[in-house]
Amino acid sequence: MLTQLSGRFVQMVIVLFFLSVVTFVMMKLAPGDPILAILLASDGALSQAEQEAAREALGLNRPIYEQYGSWLLKVVQLDWGQSLTSNREVWDILMERLPATIYLTLGSVVVLMVIAFPLGILAAKYQNKAPDVSSRIIALLGASIPSFWLALLLIYVFAYQLNWLPTMGSGTLRHLVLPSLTLGFVMAPEYIRLLRAGLLDTLSRDYIKAARARGISEWRIMLRHAMRAALLPIVAVSGVSLGSLLTGSVVTESIFGWPGLGSLAIESIRLRDYPVVQGYVLFCGVCFLMANWLSDVGAAVLDPRIRMRGGRRP
Amino acid sequence: MNRKRCHTFWLKSSMVCMAFVLFLTACAAEGQNQYPAAATTGPDQSGEGKSITIIHSLPVDTLDPHNGWISVRAGVAETLVRLDENMQVTPWLAATWEAKDPLTWVFTLRDNIRFQDGTKLDAAAAKASFERGIADSRPLAASLKIASIEANGQVLTFRTTEPHPAFPTELVHPTASVISIAAEEASGKEAFNKAPVGTGPFKVTGFIPGKEVTLIRHEHYWDELAKLEEVTIQFNADANVRTLAFQSKQADIVYHLAPESLDLIEKDQELDVESVTSLRTHYFTYNPASDHVADLRVRQALDKLIDRDAIVEEIMLGHAMPANGPFHALLPFGSKKAAQKLDPDGALKLLESAGYTKGPAGIWEKDGKPLKLKLIAFTGINPELPLIPLLVQSEAAKVGIAIEIVSVEYPEVYIKDNTDWDMSTASYLTSPRGDGGSFLNSAYTLGGSYNPAHIHLEELEAILRELNDTRDVPKRHELTRSALEIIHEEMPHSYIIHPNILVGIHQRVTNWKPGAEEFYIVTNKLDVQ
Repeated sequence: MLTQLSGRFVQMVIVLFFLSVVTFVMMKLAPGDPILAILLASDGALSQAEQEAAREALGLNRPIYEQYGSWLLKVVQLDWGQSLTSNREVWDILMERLPATIYLTLGSVVVLMVIAFPLGILAAKYQNKAPDVSSRIIALLGASIPSFWLALLLIYVFAYQLNWLPTMGSGTLRHLVLPSLTLGFVMAPEYIRLLRAGLLDTLSRDYIKAARARGISEWRIMLRHAMRAALLPIVAVSGVSLGSLLTGSVVTESIFGWPGLGSLAIESIRLRDYPVVQGYVLFCGVCFLMANWLSDVGAAVLDPRIRMRGGRRP
Repeated sequence: MNRKRCHTFWLKSSMVCMAFVLFLTACAAEGQNQYPAAATTGPDQSGEGKSITIIHSLPVDTLDPHNGWISVRAGVAETLVRLDENMQVTPWLAATWEAKDPLTWVFTLRDNIRFQDGTKLDAAAAKASFERGIADSRPLAASLKIASIEANGQVLTFRTTEPHPAFPTELVHPTASVISIAAEEASGKEAFNKAPVGTGPFKVTGFIPGKEVTLIRHEHYWDELAKLEEVTIQFNADANVRTLAFQSKQADIVYHLAPESLDLIEKDQELDVESVTSLRTHYFTYNPASDHVADLRVRQALDKLIDRDAIVEEIMLGHAMPANGPFHALLPFGSKKAAQKLDPDGALKLLESAGYTKGPAGIWEKDGKPLKLKLIAFTGINPELPLIPLLVQSEAAKVGIAIEIVSVEYPEVYIKDNTDWDMSTASYLTSPRGDGGSFLNSAYTLGGSYNPAHIHLEELEAILRELNDTRDVPKRHELTRSALEIIHEEMPHSYIIHPNILVGIHQRVTNWKPGAEEFYIVTNKLDVQ
């Protein structure tokens, strides 16, 4: 177990290192200039000589490897640097935005489960019948509708026409409903299809036939016996979904004015606030790796064969 | 059996749907009274219980008054001088000011002002605030050019590093706010930047970065007490969502509405839209090193191919003014000349006089070089910016000029790194402080922040030198207009339009109009019926 954990840790460090290198290089190679971006955003004016002095003072004129090296050295010492725009600590900024993203993640997971599980189960139980066709249509809709369009549609219906829910913002359960519905509905199709396919595959197995022969009710077979095996691919996919939710949804957060990590990322990229973007990417990397690790643990709990093979999936 | 299963399915589906609807209804039930309109009126008309919600388009991550506009916009901080509705500099925290010599400005502060933490505003407190601002904000330090500050009672004396006749206008900018350094020392910088302490009519009660600021009335405000008790300012960068929030009456004042939604808004009797001329100008910069546009006649021809009326009517849906120069004609120093109309015939004559002839492919050419231009388009935050080059490209194509459009995020960066361009789009606030000197210096002196193309006009430089030595305001306006004449003759830029600011206002909002400068949003006079 200890070997497995240390192996995972080494993998994580290597992945994060390459992630940070790629992001740093891409950000630096992309056109744009933080000094100009900040000045344009605030309609400030600095002469070109003053702009050069500002770049010099912030170390933006140094070779890229030197900039990366000094950033990495600080990160190793748990110093994530300071924002170029607000001069605040990057770690503080990330931690300030994280609770809103976690809140939205929980809401989206609830919506995802409320939509995906009943539809997936009903689609498998009533294969090629009305419930199956309905769930496939819903899954197709969810997969086809862009999240920004769905968000605007939900705002139009529930906030503007019905005036039930707020158009934007955060802080109460009501504020959470529309962004959660948007994210949950867009993510649900994949789970509906996986659950349906997994259940159909499992329901054709011999041990299920044996259970039926023993007179166990169909719902009990479905929920107690078939579901366990059908959940395996879902648990594997959930690692990626959870990772992407925890790193914030750029589009949904921006539209609903949700103060999470996604909206922070888009603002920081627009202003070329390199330290915040680097910190965000590193944080995302950790979230993804942790979520994947959790999904592996979940799979091992569900499937004894994984545990017996030392953590490797069959 | 199948029928039974089907019945079970529909029964269970109905239950799931009902549960979902109940969940939504439960969520909504609590807030149903909240959304008929965001402004609420309390038991009396003295301000108790009155609140308002404002939505702005630019999310902010800090309330640091020296590094953003939001503290002045929110009525938390104030500046020594301010702009009135005619864009004239008027007293605010300072009662009077005068120039002792070209390098010395003396301001006398009002004697009856206290910060929101109870400390008195005297010259020493203001000095500490300016020292913090200069240390923390490069643009502020660059604009003020302060060599030293002296404080004596209520008299604050600034010495500048060079003659600075426009010094008072630079103090109008929100980043020149006067804040309580004593409060910052007591709370720490991180906490202070989330709840800064100024002298304004409202105090910060809460701040969620990127989302909202909540404010409460400052009960010991030095001027007339605010009419409202509470104000919420929310941020959302999406124009469609802001517009829907306004249409749902979940906000009373909404900035930067989507122009295409105005017809729907106008049908609602409770909602109004103010279309205010802004201090921003969209324009083209011509590359002085380009083979083609280095010739004045080609620049003049291109200027005649800009259909400003069509841009105003079709792209801006009527919410803009054709530009005849960098400054709006309504400003005291703006040019009164009519904006250039679309004139393809005039453009062709100019091309002919410049030695161009029609080539076999219908493209104008000179010395075997076809008139093919590269236009760097600014994607920017204004949705109309990428559309303007398309319209010009279309008009130019009709007369035989080929324009290739290259879209970039920051034209200044492209211009700095490349020489293979002929025209570029730009958009700046050209007179944010009630004076034209700052823009003229930035755009027409070598090394200026708005002059990445290195435009240099000898004749203009002489006028700018005189302008930079002139304190008398009418004389400054006259010199600015003289500079505009030269700019119009030499045409290093083609000024296109001044876009309007579209602000949605619920009819219950009283005593308030949006200003062109967008500095003063929450005021002590702002009220609801």
